Amino acid sequence: MFEFTSFRRPPETFSVSSPDNADADMDEDYEDFLESGETKLTWPGESLTSAQDYMRGHGTYVDNEQVIASVTGIVERVNKLITVRAARTRYNPEVGDLVVGRITEVQPRRWKVDANSRQDAILMLSSVNLPGGVQRRKLESDELQMRTFFEEGDLLVAEVQSFFGDGSMSLHTRSLSYGKLRNGQLATVPPILIRRLKSHFISLPCGVDLILGLNGYIWVNKHVKQNEREGEEGFDAEAVYSSRNDEIDESTRAAISRVTNLITVLVSHSIPLTDTILLDAYDWSLEQECDP
Amino acid sequence: MASTSISKAEKSYIQAGLLANPPRRADGRSLRDFRPISLETGVAPLSNGSARVNIGRNPHDGSGGTEIIATVKLEVGNAVDDDGLSCTVVCSPSAYPHLSSGALDDLQHDLTTVLHSTLSHPSLRPKNLEIIPGKKLWSLNLDLLVMADAGNIYDALFIAARVALWDTKVPRTRSVEYKNPKTLSLASENMDVDRDTSSGFDTRKVSNAVDFELPDYWDEGQVLDGRERWPIAITLNLAPSVHFVDATLQEEASCASRILAAYSYETPTEPTIQCLRMFGSGELNVLGVKALIKASLLLGRIPSVLNILGRRQKSTQLR
Repeated sequence: MFEFTSFRRPPETFSVSSPDNADADMDEDYEDFLESGETKLTWPGESLTSAQDYMRGHGTYVDNEQVIASVTGIVERVNKLITVRAARTRYNPEVGDLVVGRITEVQPRRWKVDANSRQDAILMLSSVNLPGGVQRRKLESDELQMRTFFEEGDLLVAEVQSFFGDGSMSLHTRSLSYGKLRNGQLATVPPILIRRLKSHFISLPCGVDLILGLNGYIWVNKHVKQNEREGEEGFDAEAVYSSRNDEIDESTRAAISRVTNLITVLVSHSIPLTDTILLDAYDWSLEQECDP
Repeated sequence: MASTSISKAEKSYIQAGLLANPPRRADGRSLRDFRPISLETGVAPLSNGSARVNIGRNPHDGSGGTEIIATVKLEVGNAVDDDGLSCTVVCSPSAYPHLSSGALDDLQHDLTTVLHSTLSHPSLRPKNLEIIPGKKLWSLNLDLLVMADAGNIYDALFIAARVALWDTKVPRTRSVEYKNPKTLSLASENMDVDRDTSSGFDTRKVSNAVDFELPDYWDEGQVLDGRERWPIAITLNLAPSVHFVDATLQEEASCASRILAAYSYETPTEPTIQCLRMFGSGELNVLGVKALIKASLLLGRIPSVLNILGRRQKSTQLR
């Protein structure tokens, strides 16, 4: 079943080999260090391989001619480059990801958004839906009243649109399901525990909606009916950019607290969050009749 | 205080939850519930007394919560210009990553002022800090390090200070005198405390002890005198018409004002108030303050369970 092999000693001398040979070498190296498809977890200080054969990438350092992991995570290898992808890290955005963010700054024609990434994300005024028609050009008057759309501290759900040259992400809210968040509270989890799902808008039958942002921010709010959220005859600016909460009754409030606490418990056991797990946990906690 | 930015919607959600009947907080606590408090003593081996306090730690992975490390170091001080206890609060930049260094200094200064003015009050001064009366004393240096702030920083600081001072051992000292056959040598223990003896014109009997030695090892000694007196603080956060304890950062950001009261429980029945402060921009009338003081008095009894630390439990968890 398993085969244990020791690391090969580093070659004494380097020789330039023909392309055919190089291929063969690659295969051997591959065998030697990482089986294909195998994932290897590592811990800080663990020696990975010899520094003479491989190059150190992110999450590793060289000491005593050994490549050593500096973080806990998954070892990845691209040709000769060894990197460790950290398990606990900030969010690494990808285009198309759904994120929940908080406005940190209002700037000319753009908002800065904290999205648990290394840099603040940017939401351009041109990539939000403006009131009075979905496909409307932005006007100067819009630039002057940007705080009526989003102001500092506001939470919003958006999608990663593209990246700027410096690696910061550009967001957009050009969909009716994106926009300002209200009627609920925020839970923060490590981003690695959010898997990419078919839909990140989850509706639990207890009257609670969840938005699982891939950046680790989770918005737990009162259930909003589908047609209300989509707004059939177009776009209701009042509703989308409103900061007022609806009436939330006692049972919904209790359910929201319960779901938030469940998220905290699941996360502390490093369990990835999906709708089924949350639903099972919710039912179980109701059975146990414990307080939220 | 830490400026956590929250949106208007979150703010009104939290406030509506507090005013709801029954009140409902974000993590399901009632208005009078504290988060779990963990305590540990003896965390800094080179200090004379130390403690680590965490409020609101996640019980499974030990993350989160407001975490404070407090240490007490005794140094030989000059009895003339030393008032016995000095507090310093240092905030780790990692606890407030969004604050600039200037803002961090301001925050540290604010926290230090409240703690120092409360704890260095003469009514709380331990009696067994004298080494050579009128000349030398142990000066208490209480250093608190804020490792993480998840709300309710003042309560945590006061708990940490109390536990560290509770844990403190004062080394016993023996005076050394030069024998003068004409004068009767006096043991320093028998001398009454007199701080004015440095005057050259003083004709009263002065201990002629000039130096001292330590019979104990450095980590032995006696506990601080009157350690039951060190105060406990309760912060009441004021939402309109209700007040609640142990606010998280979001809750702190959503209520306009807070009132901090510190009590000293020398006898369990008659606490004395040591500190009363109000933070924030809200207003309060006198009647309101009186009612709040009463409410915090009742609450203050609960953490006086901290006295079980006297049994030298290495690590205690209480609710």
